[in-house]
Amino acid sequence: MNEALRRSRASVLAALIRDTFQEARARWLFWGLFGLSTLLIAIFLFVLRIDIVQGAISIMGIAPTTHQVDIRKFVNISYAVVSIVLYTWGTFLAVFASSGLIPSVLEAGRISLLLSKPLTRTMLLAGRYAGNVLVIAANHIYLICSIWIIIGVKTHIWELRFLLAIPLSIFIFAVLLCVVVLIGVVFESAALSVMISVALMLISAILAQRQFMMKLLDSEWSRQLWMACYWIVPKVYDLGAALRQIILHEHQTDWVTPLWTSALFGMVVLSGAMYLFQRRDF
Amino acid sequence: MRTEYAIQADGLEKIYRTRFRGREIKAVSNLTLHVPEGVKFGLLGPNGAGKTTFVKMLLSAVNPTSGSAKLFGKDARDPEARRPVGYLPENHRFPTYFTGRGMLDFYGALSGLDALERNKRIPGLLELVGLKDWGDVRIKKYSKGMLQRLGLAQALLHKPRLLVLDEPTDGVDPVGRREIRDILNGLTGTGVTIFINSHLLSEVESFCEYVAILKSGELALEGKISSLIAGRGYRVRASGVPEAALAEIRRLGVSILPSADAIEVQAVTLEQANTVIDKIRAAQGFVESFSASSSSLEDVFIRTTKSEKAA
Repeated sequence: MNEALRRSRASVLAALIRDTFQEARARWLFWGLFGLSTLLIAIFLFVLRIDIVQGAISIMGIAPTTHQVDIRKFVNISYAVVSIVLYTWGTFLAVFASSGLIPSVLEAGRISLLLSKPLTRTMLLAGRYAGNVLVIAANHIYLICSIWIIIGVKTHIWELRFLLAIPLSIFIFAVLLCVVVLIGVVFESAALSVMISVALMLISAILAQRQFMMKLLDSEWSRQLWMACYWIVPKVYDLGAALRQIILHEHQTDWVTPLWTSALFGMVVLSGAMYLFQRRDF
Repeated sequence: MRTEYAIQADGLEKIYRTRFRGREIKAVSNLTLHVPEGVKFGLLGPNGAGKTTFVKMLLSAVNPTSGSAKLFGKDARDPEARRPVGYLPENHRFPTYFTGRGMLDFYGALSGLDALERNKRIPGLLELVGLKDWGDVRIKKYSKGMLQRLGLAQALLHKPRLLVLDEPTDGVDPVGRREIRDILNGLTGTGVTIFINSHLLSEVESFCEYVAILKSGELALEGKISSLIAGRGYRVRASGVPEAALAEIRRLGVSILPSADAIEVQAVTLEQANTVIDKIRAAQGFVESFSASSSSLEDVFIRTTKSEKAA
């Protein structure tokens, strides 16, 4: 590929990403997310000023050296709890917010003009996808960094592992967005894509109880079916659990496998969406 | 690579299948059409004739079932083939969050123009389409005519060699139509091929050099407009002609167009016209006027689509 063509493609991709940001702003999604995140930050600030929390921090702060371990543990638990809340809340919110951004670009009269431009359908969908991920990433960075700074300033304990919630939240959103894209391409329905994505989040939590379920299920085939479903569905719950363990410095279960299997799920679903998008008539 | 044709469609076909029953609907059937470079070409046809499907196949919004489409010799499915094409779709929906300038900037970027070039060309184009003072206003405030003109600016921004306009004056008032026509006339002699898909026959007749008429997805007629409308004839306008006499007149092979309170008979020869007048007078009908006429594109269109129906 020559340099001019590569530059032209990069410029097209940048235009598509910019357009997604503009649409997110115009639909108040960007500001809605920003506002809700700010509200969450304000609530968090308020909670920290409640006497019982303030008192607990103060007591631990002035306690003798033997209790220094306790304050770190207390703060780490707080970090872990907050990270799980943000991970779950952020993913839910992101799926809701972004569900309309894919079907909107497929509207008749809009898509035919986009397709008449010298760009591939794959690039069009990829640009929209990347724009969507970046809109959500900007919000996650703002929310999680703000909470991290607040806890850090309050406790003087700066737990860098808490910031892992940022890439992890963005990653799991990117995986679920593949489902949103697929549903958007096939059915052009924002509501259906939200329903299926949220259902996947809930199913992932149920399927993750596999050790318990293996004991309950009495037939081999039902155990295999459970495990098959577990490996197929993105591991929203497992990755959240892994984040908690990392922050708490606990003995870690395998977090790499949930990561790559979820990524594989996303890639397969997104490839399916791209394939169907190529074949569709507008 | 320069080729002789801007558009080359060979045996192009599109069959839609209904989702559940799998019933086949042929939108375009075995269509072969070659549009030379640099001409003004009109595509006509009644509603549902397959005009928009054909245009969408050229621009890759619809995948052909069979056949091939080429733009300047390149396969239309290749994105690079669409680089020299400017397109104004029918019933377009430009995102309303854009300003006029923002919209041009976005579509200009997608057309491969760099920021410097876009910034240079956009003010001139806004001026050309009469939207100089509206460039920074959100397009949701634009009227239909303004949106059409902005759409035209979008199609012209990257200096295309082929301009594909789908119903460019649809919903635009007569003044707006004139403005759009003037802009397009300004492209005459620049070598740009203009392909207009329209149901406004007079517009196509006054603007285009070549025309193709589609009927039920098939090419019914194609040619140079000046040749198609060259055949002269005679028009007899009469009233109070009884039905029995009309049937006799019809048997002469002339076309009869009914109007509000009279009929208009289009005869091909002077002898035929005189026979028509004799028949009207014999039946106590009243001849209101008699004139020599050349057939209009409308006549050609009606004859073509009628003969198709008869077939």
